[in-house]
Amino acid sequence: MNKPSTFQQYVTLLRKDLQREFRTKDMLSSMGIYALLVLVVYGAALSQTARQFDVLQMSGGLLWALIVFTSLLGLNRSFSHEKENGCLEGIMLVPLDRSVVFLAKATSNLLFLLVVEVVVLPLFYFFFLTTTQPASTWPMLLLPLLVGTIGIAGIGTLLSTITVNTRGKDVLLAVLFIPLVYPLLYACVSATTVVVAGGDIEGVYLNALLLAAGYDVIMVLLSWVLYDFVVSA
Amino acid sequence: MAEQCDKDLAKVSDADAIVLDNVSKVFGDRHAVDGLSLALPQGAFLSIFGPNGAGKTTLLRMLATLSRPTEGTISVLGIDLKEHPDEVREHIGLISHNSMLYADLSAEQNLMLTARLYGIADPRERVDQMLDAVELSHRRLDVVRTFSRGMTQRLSIARAMLHDPEVVFLDEPYSGLDPHAVEIFDQLIDQVRQNRTFVMVSHDLSKGFAACTHALVMARGRKVAFEGKDNIDFEAFASLYRDTVGMGVA
Repeated sequence: MNKPSTFQQYVTLLRKDLQREFRTKDMLSSMGIYALLVLVVYGAALSQTARQFDVLQMSGGLLWALIVFTSLLGLNRSFSHEKENGCLEGIMLVPLDRSVVFLAKATSNLLFLLVVEVVVLPLFYFFFLTTTQPASTWPMLLLPLLVGTIGIAGIGTLLSTITVNTRGKDVLLAVLFIPLVYPLLYACVSATTVVVAGGDIEGVYLNALLLAAGYDVIMVLLSWVLYDFVVSA
Repeated sequence: MAEQCDKDLAKVSDADAIVLDNVSKVFGDRHAVDGLSLALPQGAFLSIFGPNGAGKTTLLRMLATLSRPTEGTISVLGIDLKEHPDEVREHIGLISHNSMLYADLSAEQNLMLTARLYGIADPRERVDQMLDAVELSHRRLDVVRTFSRGMTQRLSIARAMLHDPEVVFLDEPYSGLDPHAVEIFDQLIDQVRQNRTFVMVSHDLSKGFAACTHALVMARGRKVAFEGKDNIDFEAFASLYRDTVGMGVA
């Protein structure tokens, strides 16, 4: 045996998640369908209020509510197949750094969330922004979207590992996840709203992005460091 | 089988494969394993018996590095498990009633995953070899979800033996297997048994006793008896076991 490098083990674990999702498509299909349904519900809910409310000012909040709840669905599923047949224990029997397991799982969660966002974002634009006049800066929302999704995948992966063996894991994940992700959510909603509705790009947008990026660095590093303790407990 | 056991006893070397020194595992205020000490020679086959809640699986999980002892020290092949868990992991394999196989991946994908994680030199060749050994080559591309319980267990043996471990742990491996699958499982274990140390947790007294060179009876986290098979009279042992099971859990 030649002990593989940490990077080789990371690629192996990531490939496993991609192979599994490519075969079953259960995370992507469930998140995609759920996101579409939320868009339909948004449409119905806002259809009678469009004249009184400025949809552009609400767009950031609507988009991020959609992303957070869709992520919760995906994160809950991301570890359920690791629990089935004791697969996670099988991985833990291998001589590898536990943080590699975290990084691989967080990366696959990030990729799946980004794929869903690539599908959902044009639909969101079509449903809510075509009848209004978004600011010319609206394509800049891609940056908060990426930074926010990284944070959600990072902290979400740690929390889904913690809750996977609990009885009420679906609820518990949401109860832990939403308060923890609140600062990131707040920053991303601010940054998204300001580029879609127009406003102080240099002030609000950059400050919000800095806050979100800082959150990502702290929370992803913290999750990475704590992961060994969490999976070994 | 007795001849086989005698042969295996003859193979036992002086070095100990597993040494437990005053090992305890505490959950809250409950001692799942309480001050257990023993030494198992290399090449031995230890069967662990005891009622539900005796601490058998907790002990096996600690030996397999899946759980840390609260107190005491464990060494496997002379390596301290607490200090060097990754080194220990290179030398151990676990076959459990849980297959540890991804149900939505094929047999080949599952074994390739394990082979790459361990860094096996020629993973493709080794996977082919193990699929042949467990007679699943013809199902290599089928997803595990479509396998029978017996086939899944055979594949889990292949997974556990891929990196050629010197110490193998078996956690109630007969659970859910039909008699034919049990027979095939026993044949496979016999094939890989030479020069390896085995530790098996089983509720099946006759099978566990037939396979072992050493027997450990546990109750309430403690050692009730630990003997080499040569020193054990089966009837007396069965009686002790029944009394122990009667003790129930703490």
